[in-house]
Amino acid sequence: MSTSLLVPQHVAYIKALGDSKHELSYHLSAHLRMNAVYWGLTALLIMGHGDALDRDEMIDFVMSCWDEEAGAFSAHPDHDVHLLSTLSAIQILLMQNALNRVNVGRIVKFILSLQQPSGVFAGDAFGETDTRFVYCAVNALSLLGKLDELDIEKTVAYIRRCRNFDGGFGHVAGAESHASQVFVCVAALAILDRLDEVDQPTLCWWLSERQLPNGGLNGRPEKLEDVCYSFWVLSALSILNKLTWIDSSKLEGFILSAQDTESGGIADRPGDMPDVFHTIFGLAGLSLLGYPTLVDLDPVYCMPASIIENLGLRKGWKALQRRSS
Amino acid sequence: MDLPAEEEQPLYSQRPEWADVVPLEQYESVAPLAPIFYTDEYRDATNYFRGIVKSGEMSPRVLELTENIIRQNPGHYSAWQYRYKTLMALKSPLDDELQLMDELAIKHLKTYQVWHHRRLLVQQTRNPGPELEFIANSLQVDTKNYHTWSYRQWILAYFNDDALWSHELDFMESMLESDVRNNSAWHHRFFVVFQSGVRSGDEDRDAVVRRELAFVKERIAIAPNNASAWNYLRGVLDHTKISYCELQAFVLPYSLPQPPLGTPPEVVDLESPLPSKNSQLPCVAAVEFMADIHEAAGGGDLVKATEVGYVLYELGKYLTYRSFGNPWQMSTILYARDTGNTGSRNP
Repeated sequence: MSTSLLVPQHVAYIKALGDSKHELSYHLSAHLRMNAVYWGLTALLIMGHGDALDRDEMIDFVMSCWDEEAGAFSAHPDHDVHLLSTLSAIQILLMQNALNRVNVGRIVKFILSLQQPSGVFAGDAFGETDTRFVYCAVNALSLLGKLDELDIEKTVAYIRRCRNFDGGFGHVAGAESHASQVFVCVAALAILDRLDEVDQPTLCWWLSERQLPNGGLNGRPEKLEDVCYSFWVLSALSILNKLTWIDSSKLEGFILSAQDTESGGIADRPGDMPDVFHTIFGLAGLSLLGYPTLVDLDPVYCMPASIIENLGLRKGWKALQRRSS
Repeated sequence: MDLPAEEEQPLYSQRPEWADVVPLEQYESVAPLAPIFYTDEYRDATNYFRGIVKSGEMSPRVLELTENIIRQNPGHYSAWQYRYKTLMALKSPLDDELQLMDELAIKHLKTYQVWHHRRLLVQQTRNPGPELEFIANSLQVDTKNYHTWSYRQWILAYFNDDALWSHELDFMESMLESDVRNNSAWHHRFFVVFQSGVRSGDEDRDAVVRRELAFVKERIAIAPNNASAWNYLRGVLDHTKISYCELQAFVLPYSLPQPPLGTPPEVVDLESPLPSKNSQLPCVAAVEFMADIHEAAGGGDLVKATEVGYVLYELGKYLTYRSFGNPWQMSTILYARDTGNTGSRNP
C-alpha cells in the first residue's frame, strides 16, 4: 500500500503491456486493443511521459486497423470495425499529432450511418445500441470538427429519454441509472452545449451519494466501490462544476491504495490485479482532484486538457486546483 | 477465464474435417514464447475463424467453431456477429440456440454480446414468454446485474403485451422482499408503474400513487437508511408533482436522533409508519428531505431550517462526509445559522 503516486512503476507497467504478446490475456483482449492503446497513451500523457511508447509503431498499429471497405477502425487488424475503436483511433492520432493520416469524410459517413431513427447510435453493424455509442459519435464528430453534420436535436432527444427519476441516465431508454452512463450522457450534452437537459440538483446529489465510507465511489446505490468510478463520477461532477461535493482526500487515498506497488498499475480496488483500464481512470480521477505533478485532464473528452484547448473545444468544466506538493 | 466445459477436443489443425480450411495466423512474426495449454487452443480456433471469414463460409461447422471461440472469449464480438449471420443463413432452429444462450448467459452475465445476441434471436422467434422466467432465474445468480434488468425492460417494452406485464408488480415485491436495498428492483418498479404507459388495472392513477406511497413508506420503515427507497419516494413525488411538504408527518420521526418519546401507538398509522426498532437514527436521507421541505417553504421558515441545520451539525459524528452531500440545501441552512462552519467539507 502506498500513499503517494508511483509514477515510474506505472510508466513501466504500461510500457510492458505491449511486450506481453505471449500471454493469453493479450490475445483475449484483442477486441479491446485499440481502446487499450488509447488508455495507455492517455495515462502516460497525464503522467508527463507521453514519449514512453514508440510513436511511429503506435501510428502504424492504428493505421493497420483501418478497414478500407467499411471506412472505419477496428480494435485489431482482423476484427470488425466498431465505433468504440474508431473513437479511440481518432483520439490516439490526435494525441500523436497525426490526424492527417485519416480520411475524415469516410469516418464521418461511417459514424452517421450508425444513428438509428430514435436518435441513439449503434456500435457497429451488429446493431447493439447504448448511450456509450452516442457519446462516442458526438465526441468523434466534435474532434473531427464535423458536429454540424449531426442531427443534434434527434441525438439530444434520445439522451433525454434515458434520464431517470433519480436524475441519472441509463444505457438505453428505461434502464437504471449508472455512473458510467451518467458520464457519457453528461459529457455528450456538454459537447453539444445542452447541459440544460440535466436535472442538476437531483443528479449532483445522486453523484455525491456514490461515495462510500472508505472514500471509494460506486456506480449505483448499494454496490461496491471501484476505482474506475473515480472517473465516471468525478468527470460528471467536474463538468457540472460540483467537484467539491465529495471528499477528495478520502477518494485520493482510496485510489492510491489500489496501486500495485510491485508491478505498477492500478486495480479496481486494493489487493486486486491491476489493468490498464483502471490505471487510466484512477489517474484521470487523481488529475481532476488536483494531485501534484499530474497533467490537466479534460473530463469531457478524457484527454489532456491542452490538446482539447488547442482545438478550441474546451467546455466550462472545473477541476480542483492542482496542488504544489 | 472459463475453459470449455466439454471434454477436450483436438485442435482444428489436427482434424481432418477442417483440412480444407486455410488457417490465418495473427502474428506471423511472433513465435509463441511461452505457449500454454489453452493459448494453443485459442490461437488455433481463431486462426481457423479468420480463414472462414475470409472464404465467407457459413455452415454448421462454423457454428461449432464460433461456439468454441465464444466459450473461450465471450467478448469476441466478431465471432458473435459471424455466428448470427451463419444462423440466419442456415435457418438454424433458434430455440436450440436460445437454450445454448441460457447456459452462456449465466456464465457470462456481464458480457454485452451475450445479451445483444439474445435480443436478436428473440426478435426472430417473437416468443418473449419464456424470457421472463429465464431472466428471473438469472437474477437469482446476480440480483443486480445491469444487463439482465435492462433485458427484462426491453422484453416488456418491445413486445408490450399485457400478459407479459401482468406479473411485474408481484415479481418486484418478491425481489424487494429478499433485498429491500436492491436499487435495480426499485428502478424497475418505477419503470413498470410510471414510465411505460398505464398497465391494465392501473387506470385509477390516484389510487396507484397512494399504493406506491404506502409501498415505499412501509419499506422505509423496515430499513430507514436505504437510499434506493428514498430515491423512489422522491421520484414518485416529483413525477406526480406532489409537494414534499405533504410527507412531513411521515418523514419527521426519521430525521430525529431518537424515536419519538412514549410507547409506540397500539394502532399502526398506515399513513406514517414509524421507524422499525433498532433503526439507526437520524436517517440522513430524512434530514435532507426535511431540509428540502423547509427550503420549499421559503425564506420565512428559516427558523425551521436552522433547526435542521442544528441537527446536522450536532450529529456530525454519526454522519459520514457524504451526509453533507447536498450543499445546495446546506448553503441555505448554513446561511441561516451564519456560523461559517462547513464541517469537514473542502473549500
